[in-house]
Amino acid sequence: MKKYVVIRLINIVLTLFVIATVTFFLMKQLPGSPFDEEKLAVLSDNQRAEFLSRYGLDKPVTTQYVLYLKNLAQGDLGTSYYFKGQSVVSILADRIGPSALIGTQAVILGLTIGIILGIVAAFRHNTFWDYSTMFVAVLGVSVPNFVFAALLQYYVGLKLGLLPVAFWESYSSSIMPSIALTLGVVATIARYTRNEMLEVLGQDYMLTAKAKGVKRIKVIYKHAIRNALIPVVTVLGPITVSLLTGSLVIENIFGVPGIGSLFVDSIKVNDYTTIMGLTLFYSAFFVLTMLVIDLLYGLIDPRIRVSGVKE
Amino acid sequence: MVKKWPKIFGVMLAGLMIVLAGCNFQESSSGEKGEKETAKADKKAENVLNLSLENDIPDLNQVKTTDTISFSILNNIMEGLYRINKDNEPEPAMAKSYDVSEDGLTYTFHLRDNVKWSDGTPITANDFKYSWLRAMNPDTAGSYSFILADYIKGGTAFAAGEAGADTVAIDAKDDQTLVVQLEKPTPFFVSLTAFVTYFPLNEKFVTEKGDQFALTNDNILYNGPYVLTKYDQASGVELEKNPEYWDKKNVAVDKVNLKVIKEQSTALNLYEAGELDRVILSSADVNSYKDSKEFKTETEFTSYYIQFNLGKDPISNTNIRKALQLAYDPKTLTDVVLNNGSEPATGLIAPKMTGADGKSFRELQGDVVKPDVKKAKELWEQGVKELGKTPEITLLTADDTVSKDTGTFLQSEYKKNLGIDIQLVTKPYSGRLQTMRDNDYQMVVSKWGADYNDPMTYLDLWMSPAIPFRGNYANPKYDELVTAAKNEVDEKVRMDKLMEAEKILLKDDAVLGTLYYQGTAFLEKPYLKGLVTHPSGSPLDLKYASVQ
Repeated sequence: MKKYVVIRLINIVLTLFVIATVTFFLMKQLPGSPFDEEKLAVLSDNQRAEFLSRYGLDKPVTTQYVLYLKNLAQGDLGTSYYFKGQSVVSILADRIGPSALIGTQAVILGLTIGIILGIVAAFRHNTFWDYSTMFVAVLGVSVPNFVFAALLQYYVGLKLGLLPVAFWESYSSSIMPSIALTLGVVATIARYTRNEMLEVLGQDYMLTAKAKGVKRIKVIYKHAIRNALIPVVTVLGPITVSLLTGSLVIENIFGVPGIGSLFVDSIKVNDYTTIMGLTLFYSAFFVLTMLVIDLLYGLIDPRIRVSGVKE
Repeated sequence: MVKKWPKIFGVMLAGLMIVLAGCNFQESSSGEKGEKETAKADKKAENVLNLSLENDIPDLNQVKTTDTISFSILNNIMEGLYRINKDNEPEPAMAKSYDVSEDGLTYTFHLRDNVKWSDGTPITANDFKYSWLRAMNPDTAGSYSFILADYIKGGTAFAAGEAGADTVAIDAKDDQTLVVQLEKPTPFFVSLTAFVTYFPLNEKFVTEKGDQFALTNDNILYNGPYVLTKYDQASGVELEKNPEYWDKKNVAVDKVNLKVIKEQSTALNLYEAGELDRVILSSADVNSYKDSKEFKTETEFTSYYIQFNLGKDPISNTNIRKALQLAYDPKTLTDVVLNNGSEPATGLIAPKMTGADGKSFRELQGDVVKPDVKKAKELWEQGVKELGKTPEITLLTADDTVSKDTGTFLQSEYKKNLGIDIQLVTKPYSGRLQTMRDNDYQMVVSKWGADYNDPMTYLDLWMSPAIPFRGNYANPKYDELVTAAKNEVDEKVRMDKLMEAEKILLKDDAVLGTLYYQGTAFLEKPYLKGLVTHPSGSPLDLKYASVQ
C-alpha cells in the first residue's frame, strides 16, 4: 500500500511537470503581452522593450521557462502582472474559500438527494416515482445551471426576497449558488445510482440473501446499496474537482468573489503567472483527488485491491 | 414490507425539506431587510450609497495602475492639486491657486493651509515632488509615466533612465509652494494635476510599507473625500467620509459601498431589489427601460473609429479610403446595433470636449464627416479605375460582442451601398493590438479614450513618425499644425490649428472612418443626486453626490 502511494505520488509530480511545461509554451503562443492595453499602444518600441525587460519577458522563452521552474521548485508561483504586486499564491488563497464553500455544499446536497432519488427510482422501477425521478435527472442534465441560477435569483431572491440576490456577505449568500450548482450533481448521481441499483438487484446474491431469510432492509443496505455506490464514487471525483474549483458562470451571476472567473480573466490579459498558477493548482487538485478515489475503492470494494497489497 | 419504502423516503424527503426550510427560515430576517429596502425606493433613510464595479479591482497603487476601475476608486480616496468638478473643469483642491508665467512654461502651485493625510500628517509640496518623481522613475514607474514625463521639463530623459532625478524641473520651494517647469505651454496642465498619476504620496509611509504598499486598506494613506474601510479585490470596497479632508463639509454621503458585480443582469436584479442605486444597462435591456424616469444616458470622451492602414494596398488609395469612410451611416450603428447610449460620430474629437470661448471643440468645428452613399459609390468606382481591379478588403476587429457587431454592420453596409464583399477577421483584444503593431491589417475597428479634456489627447496620436499602429500615416502639414498648436499660448489660435488638423486627418487624408462616441445607458434611483461620472480619466466622482 505504501509503495503504491509513493509510486503514485512520483507519477503525480511527473504529470504536473508535463502539464506545467506544455501550458508554459502554449501560453507563450498567446498574442500580445501583459502590458497590452489600448493606452499602452502609445508606448514606443523602446519603451515597450524596456517594460518587457524589466519583467524578464524579453529573454528567450526557454530561459523564462527554466527560471519559472526554478522558482516553482521553491514553491514560488510568482507575482501577478494584472493584480500588480500581489503574489499568485495570495490571490488563490483569497479566492478559493468562497468557491470551495459553495462547491462542497453543492456536492454534499447533490450526493444526498441524488442517491436517494436513484434508489427510489430503482426500487419503484417503471412507476410514477421512477419516471418523475428520471424526469428530474434529464432536466438537471439538459438545463444549463446558469438558467436555473437566473431563475432562482429572480424568483427566490428578487420576487420572494427569501435569500440575498447576490453578493457575499453572510452564510445565506452561499445558499443560492450552492443550490444552482446542485441540480447537475443530483441528475448525474441519481442516474448512476438508479442504473447500478437495477443491475445489483438482479444479481444472484440478492436472491441468495433473500432466500436465506435476511431481512429486506438489511439486504438492501448491506448488499444492494453498498455495491451500487462503487461506480458513483468514480463520477464523484471529477464532479468534486470541478465544483470545488469554482464555476465561472454561477460565481458571476451571484457575485461570489471566488476563483471561477480568474482563469478566463487571466488568459484575456496575458497574466502569465496567474495562468500558470491556476493551471497547476487545478491539475494538482485533480490528480490528488483521483488518488484519493483510487484508495477509496480499496475500502469500499473488496474486489479491487491496489497492486502490492497482497504481498 | 414493500409498501414501507415510499413512507421511509417520504419521511427522509420531508426531513430534508425541513432542513432546507430551516435554512430559509433563518434567513427570513434578511428577507425583511429586502422588503425594507424596496420600500425605501423613493426615499433613502440612511446616508449610504450602493454602487457596483464591473470587474475586480486590479491595483490601487496610483503610480502603477492603469485601469478605469482602480482610477475610479483612487479619485475618491486621493486628491491632486486640482480636482475635476461637476462641469469637468479643474477646481482648486490640494492647491488653493496657481500662477503661470507669461510664456506658459512655469507653473507655481500654492498648497492650502492645513491639508492633511488621513493619519493627520500635513501634506507638503514635497509629497507631490516625491510622488511625481516616483511615477517617472524607470525603477518604480508604471505604464502611465508618460502622462507626467511628456510635459514636465526633463521628464522624458529621466523616465528613459538617461538623466538623474535632479534634472527634472519640479521644485518644492517650501512646504506650500510647488514650482513646475514645462517642456511646452500646456493649457490643460492644471487639469492634468487632477489625474491619478499626479496624486501626492507620503515618502515616509511608502518607504515604511515597502512592497506591501496599497495592497490592503491599512497600507494606503488617504487625502481624498473618502477613506477605505474595507478593500477586497474580488468583492469590492467600502468607503467612509474622510474626517481629515479639507472640504469635508461639502461631502454629503457618509458611506459608499462599491461592490464587484460582473453580470449585468444580476446588477439589474440588485437595482430592482433596492440594493444598488445605479446600474448600467446592456443594450438588450435599454428598450424595456427607455421610458422609465430613472433612465439616463451619457457619453464619454472615447471615440471609436475605423483605422485605415495607409501602408497597405488598396487602402493606400485615397479614393478607396474615402469611399469606405462615407458609405455607412454611424447613426444606424448607434440606434439599431449598439443601442446603449452611444452617439454617432461625425468627427474624431468627442462632443463636450473643451474648445475655446466657452464652446466645445465639436460645436466650433461642426461635422467633418457626413455619410454620403452616392459620393461614396463614385469615389469607389474612381478608385477601382485607378487600381485597375476590384480590390479585396479585410476588416480586423476584436472578438467582443460590440466590436463583432460593428464589423458585421460595416460588412453589410458596404455590401448594400458599394456592392462589395469585405472579409471580417476577429481576434482577441490583445491579438488585435498585436496585429496592428505587426502591420498585418488593412482596416481595423479601433478606439481611443481621452486622458485629459483637450483635443490634443487625440490629435497628438497621428503625428510623425508613421507607425503601423496609427495606419502608417504621416503628413508634414498635419505635423506642422499640431506642433504649432503645442507651442501656441493663445487659446483661440491654438484651437483653430487643432480644428484644421482634424479636418486634414479625416477629410483630406481619410485616415479614419468615424464610428461613434462611447456612451452608457443607465438607471439611477430618484433620491440619488449629483453623482458625477467624468467622461475621461477617473469616471466616478462621489464628492458631489447626495441622497435626498
